[in-house]
Amino acid sequence: MKYFAKKLAGLVATLLAVSFLVFAAFAVIPGDPATAMLGTEATPARVEELRARLGLNDPLIVRYARWAADFVRGDFGTSYRYNMTVKSMIWDKIPITLTLAGMSFVLIVLISVPVGILCAWHAQSRLDRTVMVVNQIIMAVPAFFSGILITLVFGLVFHFFTPGDYVSYHTSWSGFLGYLFFPAVAIALPKAAMAAKLLRTSVIAEKKLDYVRTAYSRGNRTKAVLYRHVLKNALIPVVTFLGMALADMVAGSIVIEQVFNIPGIGRILLTSISNRDYPVVQAVIVCIAFLVIFINFLVDMLYRWIDPRIALE
Amino acid sequence: MLDVKDLTIEFHDHLAPETVVFDFCLHMEPGEIVGLVGESGSGKSMTALAIAGLLARHDMEKRGEILFEGKDLLSCDRQQLRALQGSRIAMIFQEPMTSLNPVCRVGWQVEEALRIHCPQMTKQERRQRAMQALADADLKDTQRVYDSYPHQLSGGMRQRVMIAAAMVCEPKLLIADEPTTALDVTIQAQIVELLKRINQEKKTAILFISHDLSLVRQLCRRVIVMQGGYIVESGTVDDVFYRPKKAYTQKLVGAIPECVRQGTKGNTGKLVLSVENVHMGFVQKRRSLFEKKRRIEAVRDVSLSVREGEAVGLVGESGCGKSTLSKVILGLEKPEQGKVVHYSEHPQMVFQDPYGSLNPAYKIGRILEEPLRIQGGFPAAERRRQAQEMLVRVGLDEKIADRYPYQLSGGQRQRVCIGAALMLKPKLLIADEAVSALDVTIQAQILELLRRLKEEMGLAILFISHDMRVVYQMSDRVVIMKDGQFVESGDTDTVYFAPQHPYTEQLLLAAGIRT
Repeated sequence: MKYFAKKLAGLVATLLAVSFLVFAAFAVIPGDPATAMLGTEATPARVEELRARLGLNDPLIVRYARWAADFVRGDFGTSYRYNMTVKSMIWDKIPITLTLAGMSFVLIVLISVPVGILCAWHAQSRLDRTVMVVNQIIMAVPAFFSGILITLVFGLVFHFFTPGDYVSYHTSWSGFLGYLFFPAVAIALPKAAMAAKLLRTSVIAEKKLDYVRTAYSRGNRTKAVLYRHVLKNALIPVVTFLGMALADMVAGSIVIEQVFNIPGIGRILLTSISNRDYPVVQAVIVCIAFLVIFINFLVDMLYRWIDPRIALE
Repeated sequence: MLDVKDLTIEFHDHLAPETVVFDFCLHMEPGEIVGLVGESGSGKSMTALAIAGLLARHDMEKRGEILFEGKDLLSCDRQQLRALQGSRIAMIFQEPMTSLNPVCRVGWQVEEALRIHCPQMTKQERRQRAMQALADADLKDTQRVYDSYPHQLSGGMRQRVMIAAAMVCEPKLLIADEPTTALDVTIQAQIVELLKRINQEKKTAILFISHDLSLVRQLCRRVIVMQGGYIVESGTVDDVFYRPKKAYTQKLVGAIPECVRQGTKGNTGKLVLSVENVHMGFVQKRRSLFEKKRRIEAVRDVSLSVREGEAVGLVGESGCGKSTLSKVILGLEKPEQGKVVHYSEHPQMVFQDPYGSLNPAYKIGRILEEPLRIQGGFPAAERRRQAQEMLVRVGLDEKIADRYPYQLSGGQRQRVCIGAALMLKPKLLIADEAVSALDVTIQAQILELLRRLKEEMGLAILFISHDMRVVYQMSDRVVIMKDGQFVESGDTDTVYFAPQHPYTEQLLLAAGIRT
C-alpha cells in the first residue's frame, strides 16, 4: 500500500512537470499565434487586441495555471485553425490510438511468450537457431516498412482488407477492429521479436540457477519447473521491456497511422504541427504524456506483484 | 538401503572425454550419517547430484550402479526417478538464498513436494504438514515464516526452510551438499545440531558433503575422502582423522588448523597502528516515505593497537562491524568519534575473493606494477624487476608475470593479491577473510606464506576472519567482536584456553575447539 501511494505521488508530480515543460516550450517557440490566426489581416493594433483577448500578455506561470485548471476540467482550449474546441477534435481519436496500441500489445505477448519459451527450452537446437535468425531479421525491419509490405501483400494482393478504407468504430466495431488488425501486426512484429529474444535469454539464464535444481530435486516435471518456477522469474525483465514498448507504441503511433491512413491522435498531431495549431499540439502531447506515464505506473504495479523483492528497494 | 557400485561419470562436451568421478563405491544403511569430504574439483558434488538423480545432461555418461532400496537409479526413467525425488530422496544445497525461488512464498515452496507426491491431501492438511515441518526445523513464528518470501528471512532461517522443505515428505535419504558453508559459525553449529536431531528422531540417513573436516568430524560416524574423482580413503571418522593411511588424507587432516598452545611472545616492536575510541554508525536508508530513520551503531567505542611484526586476529560473524572497522582503518570512511593513527605509510588490504579482486583484463605483471606506477618515480625496467622479485617472494614463478588472472588457480591468485599489496613495502597489511574462499590445503599454504612474510619483513598483520581455527594459527593476539563492540581481547592462548565472555565460548564450541 505504501508502495502504491509512493508511486501515485510520483505519477502526479511527473504529470505536473511534463505538462509545465510542454506549456513552457510552446511559450518560447518563435512565432506569435495571434499573428498566425489573423494571417494577412494582421495589423499591430488587431494583433495586440487579440493577444489581450487570448491572455497571451500575462506572465507564463499565470497562463500555465489557467491552462492547467481548464485542462483538469476537461476544457482543452480552442483550435486556432478550425475555431472548434480541441476536446471535440481529439476526444474521439484517443480510443482509436489506444485500441491500436492495445491490439499490438496483445499480439506482442501472444507471439513473444510462446516463441521465447520454446526457443529457450530447446536452446541451440536447429529450431532455436532458425527462429532466432528469422527473429533477427524481423527486429531489423522498422514498423513503417513492414506496414507498407503488409499493405501490399494482404491489402493489394490477397484483399484481406482495403487499404485506406478506414472503418470508424461508430459505424462497426468488427469492421474497425478488422481494419486495425494489420497495422497492429506491423507495429507488433519488431517488438515481439525483441521481447521473444529477451525472454529466451532470461529463461536460459534462470534455467541455470540453483532454485531450478531444488525444484527438480522435489520431483517436479520439467513443465512444472518451467511454468511454476522459471517463468515468473524470467518475466521480470520482459515486463519492464513490455511497459516501455507499450508506452513507445502510444507515443509512436504517428508513423503507422500515416501509413495505414488511420485518423488517430498521431495523425492529428502531425497536421496540427504543420498548421501551427498550438492548443491542439499541446493538448495531444500532454495526452500522450499522460498515457505513457499512466502505463508506466501500471507496469510498476505489475512489477511489484511479480517480484516481491521490489518493496525493499 | 543405498548401494553405489563403481559409479563413473564422464563428460563428453570437449574433444576428449573427461572423467570427473572414477569407480565410486558407497554403502549406506538406513539411519546412518556418512561424510563425503574433498576439496573443490574432487567430484563430491557430482557424485551427490548423480545419487539424487539430478545429473541428466545429454553430454554426460554415467556407468555403474546406484541401488536405492533395491532399484537401480541409473536405469530408471525420469518418471520413476521423479517418484523418488522429494519423497524418498531429498536434497539441500549450499546457498539457501539462491536455492529457494525468490518470487514464491516460503509456504508454497515447503508444500511443493506434498503437492507432487501426495495429491490426495487437502489444502488444509498440506498446510498443517508444512507448518509442522517448519516447526521441526526449529523455526519460531512459523505462521510468519510460512507467509514470507525468502529475502525476508536471515541466512540461517533460509537453510532451515530448505531443510523443512526437504523433510516434509519424510524421506529415507537426505543429501546435504555443503549445507553450512555459506553460514556463520554459530549458525553452522545449530544447523549441524538440527541435522543430528533429524537423523535421530526420523531415522533419516544423511549423506553429508563438505570441505570442512571439523564439521564432518562432529556429525558423522563414517567418512569418505575424495580427490580428483577418486576415493582416496574411507572408514570410520576415528580411523580416517586420527590414523590416516594415505598421504593425501594425512595432508588434508594436517591442514586443519590445530589449536595447540603456542606460548606467548611479548611484542615490543614499534607501534604501526593505533585506533582510539572509534565510533561509527549509519543511518539506515528509509524503506518508505513514512518510515522513521533508523540508526545502526556499526562500531562502538573500539580501541586497538598493532605493533611491527605482530599479527592481530579480529574474529566476528557477519554484521558484527568488522568490515566497517577495516574501512575506517584504511581511511575509506571517516569515524564519527575517535581517531585512527597510522605510524607508517601505505597500509594495504587483501580481500576474500581472489577471483574478483584482480582485473581480468590485465596481465599479472601489470597488476603488480600498478602501485609503483601510481606512486611514480620508478622506471619501467625497475618496476618489472621489482614485480618479478615479489612473485618469487610470494612463492610463484617469475614467468607468471606474463599470464592473465584466469590462467591461475585460486591459491596462485591469492598469492598475487598479497604480492600486489606488498609492492609498496607497507608496514601494515589488513587481510579481510583472505583465506576463507580457499581449500584447506591451499589455506594452509597461504597462512604459511603470511607467517613467513611477517617474519621476513617485520610486517604487522590485522587478520580479519570468521574462522576461529585459522585465526588461532595466524595471530599473536585476538580480538572478538560482536554487535560493534570488542567483547574480549588478549593473548591468543589466553582467549582460546581461558575465555571470559560467553560469546567467545560459544564461538569456540561451534568451531569444535572446546567441547
